[in-house]
Amino acid sequence: MAKYAMVIDLNTCVGCNACMAACTLENQMPVGQIEEDGEIKWDTTKWRTYVHDEEIGVGNDVHRRFFPRLCNHCDNPPCMSVCPTGATYKTDDGFVLVNEDLCMGCQACAMACPYKARVDITYADVRQGKEFYGSDYRRTRPSVDKCSFCNHRVEKGLKPACVETCVGESRMFGDLDNPEDPVAQMVASGEAQPLMPHIGTRPNVYYINDMKRRG
Amino acid sequence: MEVNITYETQDIWTWWFAVYLYTGGLGAAVVAVTFFTDMYLKAHRNLVLWGAGAGFVLLSLGSLMLFWHLLDHLAVIHVFNPLAMFNQPMAWIAWGTQFILWMMIFAVLYAIPYARVTPLFQNAPLLGKALEWGFVVKLSDFVEKYRKLFGWLAVATGVGVAVYTGLLLQSFPAVALWANPGVVVLFTVSAFSTAMAFLLLIMYTIIKDDADEHLRVLYERSDLGLIGAELLIILSFFFYLQRGPESAMRSWEILFTDLGWLIGFIGFGLIVPFFLELKGVIKGWTSHAPIIAASIFVLVGGYLLRHYFMYAGVYAYPW
Repeated sequence: MAKYAMVIDLNTCVGCNACMAACTLENQMPVGQIEEDGEIKWDTTKWRTYVHDEEIGVGNDVHRRFFPRLCNHCDNPPCMSVCPTGATYKTDDGFVLVNEDLCMGCQACAMACPYKARVDITYADVRQGKEFYGSDYRRTRPSVDKCSFCNHRVEKGLKPACVETCVGESRMFGDLDNPEDPVAQMVASGEAQPLMPHIGTRPNVYYINDMKRRG
Repeated sequence: MEVNITYETQDIWTWWFAVYLYTGGLGAAVVAVTFFTDMYLKAHRNLVLWGAGAGFVLLSLGSLMLFWHLLDHLAVIHVFNPLAMFNQPMAWIAWGTQFILWMMIFAVLYAIPYARVTPLFQNAPLLGKALEWGFVVKLSDFVEKYRKLFGWLAVATGVGVAVYTGLLLQSFPAVALWANPGVVVLFTVSAFSTAMAFLLLIMYTIIKDDADEHLRVLYERSDLGLIGAELLIILSFFFYLQRGPESAMRSWEILFTDLGWLIGFIGFGLIVPFFLELKGVIKGWTSHAPIIAASIFVLVGGYLLRHYFMYAGVYAYPW
């Protein structure tokens, strides 16, 4: 049985946001638009992954960092344990998934998630999705959605959409149970580190520090 | 890894969720206190009818708040399945739903024998007839026969609801204000304190029976002890949040610089009623007005506690 994980190399993320777009279209996320500073932009608050554009450092030692975030597919997922209907569940190979039919949308999972990885899909979003995506649209009801590591692609031997499209090869996807897998090696060596391990969620998304190489 | 930390409060469960926590805790504790009083301290028809009625209405109101905000209302059916508790043993909403549901059922059942001999219910247009249906009469006799069993079932599920409101917040690990055992104790103590205040208000303004004086004194003394305990818990939160992790310190900054929390909740919701009731217990009052005022303050304070707790929970995001 595989144990899937993602490593994100912050040194090579160029902030193109192609991962956000690829994920949104692959997983048919809401595509609302908002006006910001006089510009019409995509409303990214309901997308499964997001790339933060931030400055890090102090004084003259400041640099720009693109920081992608998504569901961490935790081994001890608080969103799953608080779910009253069992809609959020974890598969043996590490995917934390949502059964839309069981989800009543109480959003306890969103409250429990330390990574802000849960997205509310409302009746209005479903209606809008039907118009935008047409007859291919798969959603039928509201739910509290999340990244699935594109399990539907992985099961076919493909990579998640965000990994497939990543031009800087910043996002890498692999099997932690396979010692030959580069992702497993980066995690085992400690080069890639999880976010907020002290919370006890045992996340499966790891980051390679961009500050080390800047020395 | 060096990260920028962003601190955010949430806008998912806001004031309406505070209402759910408040009415849930208050309603459940009112049922538990009135039924316990009726079983062991003084058989009291009016108190039971008030307790069961208020408990039913308050819990219905709170549950409606949560139901209204569900994304998929039809899917609520899944949480009514009692097996949800065992399939998801750490999901407190699953437990809470069952406790709320069964507490409401036991509360109504326990009150039926009293309702059948109460003119207000006997003369009510539809209810009066329903209370004389053969099935209801048999049910009433059955409840009468096993009165304490039904009473204890209502008390136990009522305590369960009050405790649940704290356990629910405790299960969110990212927020230091919530993810600690103090929340469970605080919300349970507050639920029973507001229940005492509610019952004192009813006994002084509606029931008005001098034969209840010993009960009113007992409730006042109990509430005094509960408010004292609540002050102690708030004090421990003050120190815990001030020197805790970053998320805790941010919550401290929100709470202990806000006049609504400091003056509204701690001042008028705890300290003022504490001293009003303390004077009542030590020297007594010549009028009921101070205790009525203290009860109103405690009831408003109970809501403010939950309101501020929902708004002051801080997430620390590493981006």
